[in-house]
Amino acid sequence: MKEVLLAGILVMITTVVCGQTYKTRDGNIYFNPNKNQSNKEYSALSKEGTAVLKLETSEVAFLVPMKSFHFNNALLEEHFNENYLHTNKFPNGTYRGKLIGFDKAMLAKDGEYKMSSEGKVEMHGVTRDFTSPVTLSVKGGVATFKCIFNIKAADYNITIPDMVKPKLAEATPLDATISFKMN
Amino acid sequence: MDMKRKFWIGLISMTFCSAVVAQDDLLADLVKEDSSKVKENITIATFKSTRVVNMHSVEMTGDGNLQFMIIHHFGAIWDKNEGASNLARLFGLNASFASTYMSFDYTPIRWMNLGIAWAGASTMEGTAKFKLLRQQSGVRNYPVSVAWVSTANFNASKQLESPNSFYWNRFSYLNQLLIGRKFSDLLSLQLTPAVIHRNIVAYGNSDAHTVFSVGLGGRVKLSDKQAITFEYNRQLNGYENVVDKTGAIISYSPNLISLGYDWDTGGHIFQFFFTNSSFASNLPQLSANPVRDSFGQWSIGFNLNRSYAIKKKVKTQ
Repeated sequence: MKEVLLAGILVMITTVVCGQTYKTRDGNIYFNPNKNQSNKEYSALSKEGTAVLKLETSEVAFLVPMKSFHFNNALLEEHFNENYLHTNKFPNGTYRGKLIGFDKAMLAKDGEYKMSSEGKVEMHGVTRDFTSPVTLSVKGGVATFKCIFNIKAADYNITIPDMVKPKLAEATPLDATISFKMN
Repeated sequence: MDMKRKFWIGLISMTFCSAVVAQDDLLADLVKEDSSKVKENITIATFKSTRVVNMHSVEMTGDGNLQFMIIHHFGAIWDKNEGASNLARLFGLNASFASTYMSFDYTPIRWMNLGIAWAGASTMEGTAKFKLLRQQSGVRNYPVSVAWVSTANFNASKQLESPNSFYWNRFSYLNQLLIGRKFSDLLSLQLTPAVIHRNIVAYGNSDAHTVFSVGLGGRVKLSDKQAITFEYNRQLNGYENVVDKTGAIISYSPNLISLGYDWDTGGHIFQFFFTNSSFASNLPQLSANPVRDSFGQWSIGFNLNRSYAIKKKVKTQ
């Protein structure tokens, strides 16, 4: 009996020490590829991002199903899925990396913290190294990470037709907002 | 080594190992979780456009979107009676004949689309299209997409030939059931049974108040943005021994055959086609299509559509 109890405690300690993770389904990604950012014609939003944060190692992983991006114009959504990102073949966009300058003590105190992240983005079958500043705001038991991924279509083998190209920014800013509830 | 010690060493190494393994890949965790979820895999883009060629496709204009469509059918590509002047007529493009169909349609609710059209030859049409089923797998399994289109055609022509001039006689109706399946990214097919009803039977329409037809249409994709489309519709009654307004007996062609090429430019969808009908509206296409004795009598044409987002669904943070 004593062994079983001790074993249980040991397992719990191991998970707490080696692997305390936060998981969330509250990941929003918004992007607007237009050169003129006030023109929202091509913008899209997904609210189905999922993420994991591991406190001890500051590792993060993020996944968004590409089909969860919705546009105002259904035709653009079709183009996004069928012509540009081939979402049947490449269903997910992912990021895995590390938060640099993150400390778990930050989560205990409300405030705004600046840090950066370094890792790999995978999308449309292409994996690329990636670094970006990240803002963490902690408020009332919710930790919200904000990060802008600047994505160049050509880097990910996404072909934009010549007719559309002049209207698009060279790199599309992808605003990711990921909130973790801590309790 | 006693049993107890063995047990502890075993347990510690096991928990340590599992911690190390779990630490290895956070992303794999998310991917696994994502792929274990039963999803709603709704098939999209069975066809590029809301038309296969001449007929409506199972596709709907997007939710909150307004679509403007222009359909043109030009003259005969090579009219035997015109001889060498066919060269100037440029395959019917310059043949002083074209029937034009212009429409606006809007989708106020995801499964319902309402449209109004100037349908050629002084007729106007109202359409209502309902998406009844979306092909999908996962949470639900439906092998096909199903839509219903009802079209009411109003003939405003002053010369309308009709036994009496009662107002409602100017109306005729078309109801179509569209059953489509995207077999793969390459191939989509659609079955299109239809029924036409006209309140009064004018000369040249035999005495059939109700005309049935059945059609098969499809698409073969050549690339992301280009496809070959085809359509065959067969009229089942009311095409033989029809009395026209001079009293002569004529017959219509029960076959409506079309071959098309879809080109998605990124902003518009162009559909070029070659077909044995010069009507712009589906009603005469399916119920009074003249017999053509050679390919020269066929015509080329195009559908062009563009859609506009009226309802703003993407809210910026």
